[in-house]
Amino acid sequence: MKILVPLKRVSDPDNANKIKVGAGKVETTGLEWKPNPFDEYAVETALRLTENGTNAKARLGEVTVVTFGPKETETTLRAALATGADKAIRVDTTDDAIDGDLLARALKALVEREKPDLVLLGKQQVDGDANQVAQLLAEYLGWPQATFAGQITSEADKALLVSREVDGGSIKLRVTLPAVVSVDLRIVNAVGVTSMHTPPTHKYSDGVRFAALMAIMAAKKKSLTEVKLTDLSPDTALKIKYTGFDLPPARKAGVKIKTVAELVQKLKTEAKVL
Amino acid sequence: MHGPSFMKSLFHGVVAEGTIFPYPEPTQSEGDNLHIMMDSVRKFFAANVDSRKIDRDAVLPDDVLRGLKELGLFGLVVPQEYGGVGLSATGYARLIEEVATLDASVAVTLGGHQSIGLKALLLFGTDEQKKKYLPRLATGEHVAAFALTEPGAGSDAAAIQTRAEETPEGDYLLNGSKIWITNGGLADVLTVFARTSSIEEGMKPRITAFLVERAWGVKSGPNEHKLGIRGSSTTEVSFDNVRVPKENVLGEVGRGFKVAMEVLNSGRLGLASGCVGSCKRLIKMAVERCHERKAFGRPIGEFGLIKDKIASMIAECFALESMTYLTTGLVDAKIEDYSIESAICKVYGSEALWRTVNDALQIAAGIGYMQEYPYERLLRDARINLIFEGTNEILRCFIALSGMQGPGKELVEVAKAIREPIKGFGLLSDFAIRKARSALGRERMTRAHPALSRESVILEQYAGDLARSVDKVMRKHGNQIHEMQFTQRRIADMAIDLYAVAACVARTTRAIERRGEEGARREIDLTSVVAAAAEERMKQIAQSFDRNDDELRKAIASKSYADGGYPFDIL
Ligand SMILES: Cc1cc2nc3c(=O)[nH]c(=O)nc-3n(C[C@H](O)[C@H](O)[C@H](O)COP(=O)(O)OP(=O)(O)OC[C@H]3O[C@@H](n4cnc5c(N)ncnc54)[C@H](O)[C@@H]3O)c2cc1C
Repeated sequence: MKILVPLKRVSDPDNANKIKVGAGKVETTGLEWKPNPFDEYAVETALRLTENGTNAKARLGEVTVVTFGPKETETTLRAALATGADKAIRVDTTDDAIDGDLLARALKALVEREKPDLVLLGKQQVDGDANQVAQLLAEYLGWPQATFAGQITSEADKALLVSREVDGGSIKLRVTLPAVVSVDLRIVNAVGVTSMHTPPTHKYSDGVRFAALMAIMAAKKKSLTEVKLTDLSPDTALKIKYTGFDLPPARKAGVKIKTVAELVQKLKTEAKVL
Repeated sequence: MHGPSFMKSLFHGVVAEGTIFPYPEPTQSEGDNLHIMMDSVRKFFAANVDSRKIDRDAVLPDDVLRGLKELGLFGLVVPQEYGGVGLSATGYARLIEEVATLDASVAVTLGGHQSIGLKALLLFGTDEQKKKYLPRLATGEHVAAFALTEPGAGSDAAAIQTRAEETPEGDYLLNGSKIWITNGGLADVLTVFARTSSIEEGMKPRITAFLVERAWGVKSGPNEHKLGIRGSSTTEVSFDNVRVPKENVLGEVGRGFKVAMEVLNSGRLGLASGCVGSCKRLIKMAVERCHERKAFGRPIGEFGLIKDKIASMIAECFALESMTYLTTGLVDAKIEDYSIESAICKVYGSEALWRTVNDALQIAAGIGYMQEYPYERLLRDARINLIFEGTNEILRCFIALSGMQGPGKELVEVAKAIREPIKGFGLLSDFAIRKARSALGRERMTRAHPALSRESVILEQYAGDLARSVDKVMRKHGNQIHEMQFTQRRIADMAIDLYAVAACVARTTRAIERRGEEGARREIDLTSVVAAAAEERMKQIAQSFDRNDDELRKAIASKSYADGGYPFDIL
């Protein structure tokens, strides 16, 4: 199976207090970057689908990772290559010059070039939190989609049985490949992914894998190509325009409450919710 | 890069700017790799390493060790051609910094393996030796240790008694025992130092380094019970007629002391960067506490005396980081002699960390004292750094004597001077001549950014003071200087402060060139605080060369030795 995983770096959520807003823009200088966690789950899912979990060194499929960003974002791609992805593509652009719709249109062109059987995405970015790209991409491609996957079982690499996380429970869908799937946190549980190559008794360790240091050095030798955004989408007009940014208001200090009676009282008189 | 070391030049009053400007930095590609590697390391530790349990059980669990090996942390300095990660000195130091932030027992275990354990093989090994041993050391299939210390030879390493007797076939039979060997219980391959000459009074002791496999009959004792870094293995290691083939001599026969000193010179940088990591962690904890804890209706962080502590922690960490990575940069630029610089980083680093952990615990106060919180463990873990890889006392003597010796002389001579005071120091006599010659050298900082002119003046002025003081004490005391440890300490302390200021100025100059004065404001402020504190100390030291109570203090100590302790009681 050939899988394409779009991924992106986001500013480290632990450094939220460093974020500054100026001149209608979020200041990004001096921020530390991390791969978007949901994208890391998508890479992990792709790797699990293309290997025998008991011998993860031998690759039994092809995982291509792609990011949209300036040269520095290649670190994010190298990290994914180090954990096992086979090749990487960087589409040269900046965060300001793209939105979910343009991203989906460019990805469509890339899918037509790379011809993957599956596009796996994180359900959303933890910076913009738009949660659009998977849905738009499926629509543009005319492929079936399953979003918020918490569990995936591959049926002979022809179809996927996807358990989707929704409010109040889960929905099971069978999607025929090629398809677009976005993943949620639970997918990286020990048994989140069942592939045709891995014995059903195998248990992964929870969470995403991390690269051995030697593999990080070796990943330098894997293919990383650069593509111009306009080569994928000549039309780079944006549908979303940002008119301004504000930091959330600082939280007011809380109060300590000693008794239940006092709590009820405060809920009535101050919070006015009772 | 050739030329004398920065500090050795400074002892002559010459500011060798070319050596420290521009402040070095890792290549883009290594920087990127390090980011990815540190991310892996953090993920591994978060999932697998329980420092509290490791401290309590006083052992690194097998699965943690296995995981560290699989991650590649045992092969950091081994070149890629031998299956290692092949990091530069800077890359290695930065990664050890990260590990030390997370767990000191693991950092010491990794350091015992590759900062010192396999370092002699890397520096002095033949191609055959490297081919045979490095690949398995790189994966951690084999663990290494460095075995120098003995019951009767700690600081005075040249006094070791372990013997290597040559057999008729040219091999060696090892007999003797080593104590407090890090990784003693884990090691498969040990760098062992032994005498290859008989012990005769007045004869030059000939020491040789050997690479010894445990499988040849090396025995190790149980793990020692320790104050801190309790998860690291520290044991006795003994040799009872262990036969070592002649192919396993490291470096030249009889030149083992030089091997040991070179290994420690480089090992001290890993120790210093580990101290950087621990300081950063403590600063983060202390800052969090400043927000969280309220007293008198305010967060404690608002009180002046707390702010003062935080400012000192940050300034000292900045100075330490600047010095450490300046020095690793010099190593990567292949400068030959960085022995004084690395000793300075070790002394400053271990003491800055000790002050930092003490202050962080003080800010935490009651909870800092409780085992429920990590402060007390971090305090216990930090203490070792002042002791091993050369005690700070020995290293201060080394910094001073080696600096006064001038460039080009071997470190071995310094140790010899401490051991054999009467014969040792012929080399010092021509110091004055060289000093006069070097008066032609430059004594000014021209490449520092103008925004740092005050700090540069402090450096220039006290570099001159150091050179003059050195000159004066040498004229006055001649070869007796090796007996004058109070004076040596003054010289060493000035040298340490000067290196700190120089490193901060070079680093901040680079920052200003990159980001402008406003962009580098915090670095400028920190450099200013570091330089002011250094100036304060150096001013006092400069005066105390002539006016002091050294003799009185010596007499008090001697009397108390005779008394057997403290002589008074109010009753
Ligand atoms: C946890 C741990 C791990 C260690 N790991 C290793 C290892 O892996 N390999 C190894 O070879 N060794 C190791 N050591 C040994 C360590 O390097 C020595 O403890 C250290 O060198 C000091 O030696 P000593 O303890 O014998 O102190 P001593 O030499 O007995 O010194 C006692 C005191 O006298 C001072 N002193 C000694 N000589 C002088 C002098 N000339 N002038 C002024 N003051 C002086 C010292 O500074 C110290 O304060 C380890 C030690 C510990 C505690």
